[in-house]
Amino acid sequence: MALVKRFNAYHRILHVVIAISFIGLVASGMPIKYAQAPWAAWLATLLGGYTGAALVHRICAAITFGYFAAHIGYVLYDIAIVRKFKFNILGPESMVPWLKDLQDIISNFKWFFGKGPRPQLDHWTYWEKFDYWAVFWGVGMIGVSGLFLWFPVFFGQFFPGWAFNIATVIHSDEALLAAGFIFTIHFFNTHMRPEKFPMDPVIFTGNMTLEELKHERPLEYQRLANENKLDQYATEAQASWITDAGIIFGFLTVLIGFALLVLIILGQFVY
Amino acid sequence: MNLPLLITTIAFLLLSSHASAKEDCYDCHGQQGGRTYVNKDALVQSVHGKIACDKCHLNIAPYPHGTVSKVNCGICHFLGRDGAPKEQAAEYKLSVHGLAAGKGTMAPTCQTCHGGHAIYRSADPRSSTSREKIPALCGRCHAAELGVYEKSIHGTLLLKNNVSSAPTCFDCHMEHRIPSASEAKWKLSLVSKCGTCHPEEMDTYHKTYHGKVTRLGYTTIAMCWDCHGSHDILPQNDPASTLSSKNLLSTCAKCHPGATESFTKFYAHAEETNRAKYPVLYYTFLFMTLLLIGTFAFFLTHTFLWAYRALKERIQKKGGM
Repeated sequence: MALVKRFNAYHRILHVVIAISFIGLVASGMPIKYAQAPWAAWLATLLGGYTGAALVHRICAAITFGYFAAHIGYVLYDIAIVRKFKFNILGPESMVPWLKDLQDIISNFKWFFGKGPRPQLDHWTYWEKFDYWAVFWGVGMIGVSGLFLWFPVFFGQFFPGWAFNIATVIHSDEALLAAGFIFTIHFFNTHMRPEKFPMDPVIFTGNMTLEELKHERPLEYQRLANENKLDQYATEAQASWITDAGIIFGFLTVLIGFALLVLIILGQFVY
Repeated sequence: MNLPLLITTIAFLLLSSHASAKEDCYDCHGQQGGRTYVNKDALVQSVHGKIACDKCHLNIAPYPHGTVSKVNCGICHFLGRDGAPKEQAAEYKLSVHGLAAGKGTMAPTCQTCHGGHAIYRSADPRSSTSREKIPALCGRCHAAELGVYEKSIHGTLLLKNNVSSAPTCFDCHMEHRIPSASEAKWKLSLVSKCGTCHPEEMDTYHKTYHGKVTRLGYTTIAMCWDCHGSHDILPQNDPASTLSSKNLLSTCAKCHPGATESFTKFYAHAEETNRAKYPVLYYTFLFMTLLLIGTFAFFLTHTFLWAYRALKERIQKKGGM
């Protein structure tokens, strides 16, 4: 089966780093947010008590700031050096949302109700763009508020103490938004939707089949075919261990994510 | 030894251990002003009024008594004999007082607080442990703490304003259990103890980082008394309070060295739902709540509709339904 390259090694590794640090942040933050829940104490104990959880949280936070900086660096490198500033910021390879995304949302809802065909999608769908920018928003909001809470004495020099109350609300609610979103909507959109169930390994292998490209991203397929670029994107299958490791990692994170989601729901609505 | 004498002796010993023998004890011990004087009226009206002397003063020989052993309350109260309440003795044994006494260190025993013969229920104003007498009772040994407590808001309420519900030593330290001041389990239980009279403050504390870590079972982060003081607790408007404008910064700096004046503007008991008191916090909370509800409402609808349509198309493709 012919394969097409979608993600390079940098993207794939970065996604694994994001997944690990994100799970680490959620698991070590939850015992504090839901301290009243009976599961909070044992989850904290599992992570080495309150001080252990705090350390895990800070290490994963440092990783988060690291990948965020790495990504900014990568985007600048890609646009300036690889593409030599020949980059259409509103084009199909850009993450910037544009009118087509709005049209796609409308068409997709029409399709949901059986009132029209599926939208013709391109390289980045609107829900993928949302996921992408949500990380910017999330890392920004949670990151800045987290730094306030991490270094209160330092920030206390420039801000009134009640900034820490604001930071607590933002940090806690934005974390709930991020964890709730990733463990339900991201998991469904990428792995759980019927045509991909139970897992789409593209983020781990980097490759998708030509059939998938034709079916799911017809505009991209057409564009590449018209420009005779399909050969350029053709690729070999990954070594089987990479595929296997990716699938095992994917299942593990989805499983842990669902488990944490159950605890979040219990903490939020039951206790 | 002849038989009649033996029978007479046994009969005497048996009789002498009966309650009726109490009257005989007063022949000597009823002499007012004597070193061994026992106030009969007080004893009779006490909780032990119907109990014979030798139930407590064991193995006492007829006069001259010889060596008289100290009364051990545990013979009834540790074992619960004849319906004597026993929880208090069991708690005392494991208290800092009981453990020290058990090691032979000088430490209060039952009589130190309860006295010997004039023991009344604590609700009885004659009791040595009646509510308003508690601070002075503990202060016999803990004079420094008493001095501080008397000036505190709790001490003032109890001793000057006669508010009998104001906390005394016993309420926090638990009269019989008296745990070590470093015991984590006790410290954690104290937060809800403060919360019995200050429920709103406890709830708002539990919403802060300080309170959440405490609730998780750790005592290393600010608990009520770390900011408010314990024996010296005073209202914030009292200049001597740990939270007065003069002392607030040094109180915060105990845990946050290097803290500045602006740092102290933290709301240690914030309520994000109180718009009048905390407007910025309120609108932040409102914004975040709407953001969460909005995002989840849109995407969960999106996801469910998608799943529904995709499944329906699959079933139709298979031609089954």
